[in-house]
Amino acid sequence: MPEPALLHLDHVSRRLAGREVVSEVTFSVARGEVLGLLGVNGAGKSTTLAMVAGVLRPDSGSVQIGGDDLREQPELARRRIGYLPENVPLWPELTVREYLDACGRLRGMSHAARKTAVDRELLRLDLEGQANRLSGQLSLGQKRRLGLAQALLHDPQVLVLDEPGNGLDPIQTAQLRELIRGLSAQRATIISTHVLGEVEAMCDRVVILHAGRVRHDAELAGDRGALDKMFLQIAREGASKAA
Amino acid sequence: MSALSVARLDLKRLLVRPFAWTLAAIALGALAWVFLQNLNAFLIAQPKLAANTAGPGYTDLVAVPHLLAYVQLCLLLAPLITMHAVAGERRAHTLPLLFAAGLSPARIVLGKYVSALLYLWALLALVALMPVLLARATTPDWGQFGAALLGCALCVAALAAIGIAASASSTHPAVAAIAALLIVLVLAMLDTGGHLTGLSVGWLAYLALPTHLTPFMHGLVASVDIIYFLLLIALALGFAIRRLAAEKVRG
Repeated sequence: MPEPALLHLDHVSRRLAGREVVSEVTFSVARGEVLGLLGVNGAGKSTTLAMVAGVLRPDSGSVQIGGDDLREQPELARRRIGYLPENVPLWPELTVREYLDACGRLRGMSHAARKTAVDRELLRLDLEGQANRLSGQLSLGQKRRLGLAQALLHDPQVLVLDEPGNGLDPIQTAQLRELIRGLSAQRATIISTHVLGEVEAMCDRVVILHAGRVRHDAELAGDRGALDKMFLQIAREGASKAA
Repeated sequence: MSALSVARLDLKRLLVRPFAWTLAAIALGALAWVFLQNLNAFLIAQPKLAANTAGPGYTDLVAVPHLLAYVQLCLLLAPLITMHAVAGERRAHTLPLLFAAGLSPARIVLGKYVSALLYLWALLALVALMPVLLARATTPDWGQFGAALLGCALCVAALAAIGIAASASSTHPAVAAIAALLIVLVLAMLDTGGHLTGLSVGWLAYLALPTHLTPFMHGLVASVDIIYFLLLIALALGFAIRRLAAEKVRG
């Protein structure tokens, strides 16, 4: 029997600057599942994830976590969602440990819980040696790992990662993929990307988003060529329409 | 609790930057110099002043002008301290982190306001300490000094709120600082034209900051002046909250 959906988006739409960026998007993610949100630049991936994380409010439709509507209970975001935006949000003047401690405090964690969680995430993300360095002085890969650490600090049920592999070298990318696969067992994970290889390496299911609409939603089959072809076809269709 | 967490975080970030310490050092150094100048002028005038028992004393000539000088400095200091509050978060892409932590715009704005206010009030306390240190050598009018201190605290709180509002509506901290500086200068000089020409400027004078600060400096605490500052704070913070809430709605 399949796991019930932990995260469900129901006909979510959103306009930005007078343009419909996300239109009637519907999909679900179950516990233990990694969903890849695939799309070209400007497809509406980041806007969709921002709505899932409670950063943007949908114009219509609903985002439900475990059956509870995020709009009616915004506190849900605080407790159940871990979010890593495309641009890693850092306060460069704080050390890595201070940064994580501040993130835990903002999420209402107690002193003892913060200390345990910060130590756990520093160890898990291999940042122990950087704990007392200023976060602004870290390399891009370390910043990404720190961003992931803040998203995991409160042990969220839903993990939302916006283009987590951007700007990483091949070794860092491989490490990140392994890490995300390891983290996904107990939670619902969504990853947005425009790189097909990332979806194939990390995800169980793929949703192709184009011009704000869901164009494909299916489990990843073994046939890599078919998905590749479909993605390119959808992207080209959009490009020719735009032309 | 969340607003306090934001305040604590902001204060920590403010205090690890050399900028805040440099500003504090310059402000305190300048005010110490002003204090010594005022004190020197008071000591020179002392023989004449001693002859008039009802004339101005240490509080009128040294302590209160010293506090007023801090308020005047805050016309520049408050915009500089608050410019990063929201505009800086926006620029560093850290606002989504605050929203994703479930913080409401009101809590974010209040937290940032409290941190800026604590910094400015801490400086005010140090500034007020200078005339207080000489209290044993003279006879200050504690009532007048207390009223002046209350007026300064309220005025500085209003300036900080205006700074936060300007920061909430800008994407660049420098633009926020300039906008806040212009607003506070307009409020500070709204009735200057009337004073210079001798004409009555009516309600414009009522809106001017000095109209409501001057009575405090003379030792008069009127509820109308307190309400003016509280309204100004509420309006500015309300605007900042609306601006931040709109960001969540409009993107």
